Amino acid sequence: MEKEVIIRFDNVTKRYDSDTVVLDHVSFEIERGKFYTLLGPSGCGKTTILRLIAGFTEASEGDIYFNGKRINQVPANKRQVNTVFQDYALFPHLNVYENVAFGLRIKKVKQAEVDRRVKEALRFVNLSGYENREITEMSGGQRQRVAIARAIVNEPEVILLDEPLSALDLKLRTEMQYELRDLQKRLGITFIFVTHDQEEALAMSDEIFVLHEGRIEQSGTPTDIYDEPINRFVADFIGESNIVPGKMIKDFEVEFAGKVFECVDQGLNPNESVEVVIRPEDLEITSWDKGKIQVKVDSQLFRGVHYEMLCYDEAKNEWLVHSTKKAIVGEEIGLNFEPEAIHVMRLGETEEEFDKRLESYQEARHEQ
Amino acid sequence: MNSKTRLFYLLPYVLWIGLFVVTPILLVVYYSFFDLHGNFTFANYEKLFTFVYMKMIASSFWYAFLITVFCLLIAYPAAYFITKTKYKQLLLLLVILPSWINLLLKAYAFLGIFSTYGAANNFLEVVGIGAQQILFTDFSFVFVSVYIFIPFMLLPIFNALDKLNPALIDASRDLGASAWTTFRKVVFPLTLSGVKSGVQAVFIPALSLFMITRLIAGNRVITLGTAIEQHFLVTQDWGMGSAIAVFLIITMFVIMIVTGTRKRGIQ
Repeated sequence: MEKEVIIRFDNVTKRYDSDTVVLDHVSFEIERGKFYTLLGPSGCGKTTILRLIAGFTEASEGDIYFNGKRINQVPANKRQVNTVFQDYALFPHLNVYENVAFGLRIKKVKQAEVDRRVKEALRFVNLSGYENREITEMSGGQRQRVAIARAIVNEPEVILLDEPLSALDLKLRTEMQYELRDLQKRLGITFIFVTHDQEEALAMSDEIFVLHEGRIEQSGTPTDIYDEPINRFVADFIGESNIVPGKMIKDFEVEFAGKVFECVDQGLNPNESVEVVIRPEDLEITSWDKGKIQVKVDSQLFRGVHYEMLCYDEAKNEWLVHSTKKAIVGEEIGLNFEPEAIHVMRLGETEEEFDKRLESYQEARHEQ
Repeated sequence: MNSKTRLFYLLPYVLWIGLFVVTPILLVVYYSFFDLHGNFTFANYEKLFTFVYMKMIASSFWYAFLITVFCLLIAYPAAYFITKTKYKQLLLLLVILPSWINLLLKAYAFLGIFSTYGAANNFLEVVGIGAQQILFTDFSFVFVSVYIFIPFMLLPIFNALDKLNPALIDASRDLGASAWTTFRKVVFPLTLSGVKSGVQAVFIPALSLFMITRLIAGNRVITLGTAIEQHFLVTQDWGMGSAIAVFLIITMFVIMIVTGTRKRGIQ
C-alpha cells in the first residue's frame, strides 16, 4: 500500500511571549490510517503540537500541511480534525445525544441523518441506550466514550487525543487502551495520541514520537524505540534501563564495568566513549562465578510479576534487575546477559546520524 | 456539632429573620387590609386594579425592564472583556468601586452634571449641539439607574464567565462552530445562570426605585416605589401603600421563581 502523508510539519517553531520556545524547528510526517503517539514529559511540547494541528494556536515559524495544503491560517472550525480533550470538555448543558450531535447540528445535517449517525457513534463506543443521560450522570469512563463518540461522529480524517486516559483509574485505563486501539483499527482513521505514559505509548502505537524540550528526540515503532534508544533521555524515559559509561574498543566489542564484552554494534570509531544500555529484564541472576559481571544486592522489592533488585558492581555502577527469581539482600551474585541485550549509544548522536550509521552497516552486510 | 451549639448558631439568624423580615412583611400584609379610618376592607386591593394604578404598575415594569436591558447590554460584553484581560481583579474592582459610595451622593452628583449649566451641557455646547434639558427626563432617569445598577449585573455575569472552562470553547470550535455560534450555543447558555442572577439583582430593586425618580426624573416618572413613599409619607394612606408593597413582594417572588428555574439539558 502506498504511504500517504496526511499531515506534515516543516520546521515548525512555537514561541510564547517572544522568548519561551515550546517547539524548536520540529519537522515530521503523519501517514494516513496509523496510530501515532506523541510521548514526553510535561512541558515537552506534545500538547502544543496537538493544538497546532487542531488550530487552537498558531505556529511562530514554519509550515503545517494537511493533505498537501498549507493550513497555518485555517481556523479550527474549518479543519478536518476533531479532538478528544484531556478533561473531555463535554458540554454540561447538553445531554449525551446533543453532545455527540453538536458537530452535525453545526453542519446543518438533517435530523434523520443526525439520528442515524449519533446512534451509530454511540454504538461504536458501547453507549447505546445512554442518549438521554445528562453528562453529570455519566462516570469518568463513560464521559471518555462520549467524548470519543463526539469526535468520530463527524467522520474526521484525523482524531487528536490529548491525554484522554489520564483521569481514569488504572484498570479502566488499560481497558480503554485496548478499546481505543481496536476503535482506530475498525475506523481506519489516523489517531494522534498525546501521553506522558510510556507503557500506554508502547502498547497502542504504530509509531511513537519521543519529545523532549521542544524537539523530537526519536521516532519509530515501539520496538525500535524500546530496543534502540538513541540517547540517554529516550533510554531513561522509555521503560527502565541501566545506563553505564563504556568504551567501544572496536566493532562488536565494548568495554564497561571494567571488562570487555561481545556486542552487536558497529560503525563507531575505535576507543570511542559511549553509553551502554541494558534493560533490567535482560539481566539474569546467576551464581557469583558464572556471571559476566559481579554485583552485590543492595535492596529488593516484590513487584508482583517479578522481583526488582538494586545492585552495585565494584565500580559503583548501579544495576537494576528484574527477575522472577528471588535474591538475598547483601549477597554477592553474578549477572548474565546476551550480546544482543547490550545497546551502545553514541554520545550526542542525533536520530539522523543514527539512522545513517545503521543503514551504512546494513549495506556493508549486504556486500559481504 | 451537637444540637445545643447548633441552636446557638441558629439564634442570630432566627432573630434577624424574625424581627426584620417576617414581622415587617406580616405588618405590611396586616395594614393592607385597612382603610384610612382603620376599618377592615379589601378596597386597597380593588384600587390596585383601577386604571391609575395599572398604568403606574405598567410604567414601573417598563422602566425596570429598560434599565435591566441596558444594564445587560453593557454588562455582558464588559464582563466578557474583563475575563479576557490580564488585570481581571483590578478592572473588576474599578467597576465595583462606585457601588461603595452612597447612592444619594451619586444621585446628587448627577444633578450637578446634568443641570442646565452642568458638565454635560457644557460639553454639548462645545461640540455645537447646544444646551438641552437633560435633567427630569426619561433619558436621565434610565441613564442614572443603569449607572447605579451596572455593578450588580456585571458581577454575577463575570463570575459565570470566569468559571467557564475554556476547553469548552476550543471543543466547540473544534466541532466546526464559528465564534458567533460558539457564543450562542455554548458560552451564553452556560453563563445564563449569571445573567439570571444579574437580572434579579437589577430588575427587582428597579421596580421600587423612588429616590432617583424624585431627584433625577423630578417625579415625572411615577413608579410603584414612588407611590409607596407618597402613601406612607404624604397621603398617610398606610393601607394603600401596604397593598402596593404586598403586590411588589408577590412580584418579586414570581420573578425569583421564573428566573431561578434550573432546567438541565436544553434541547
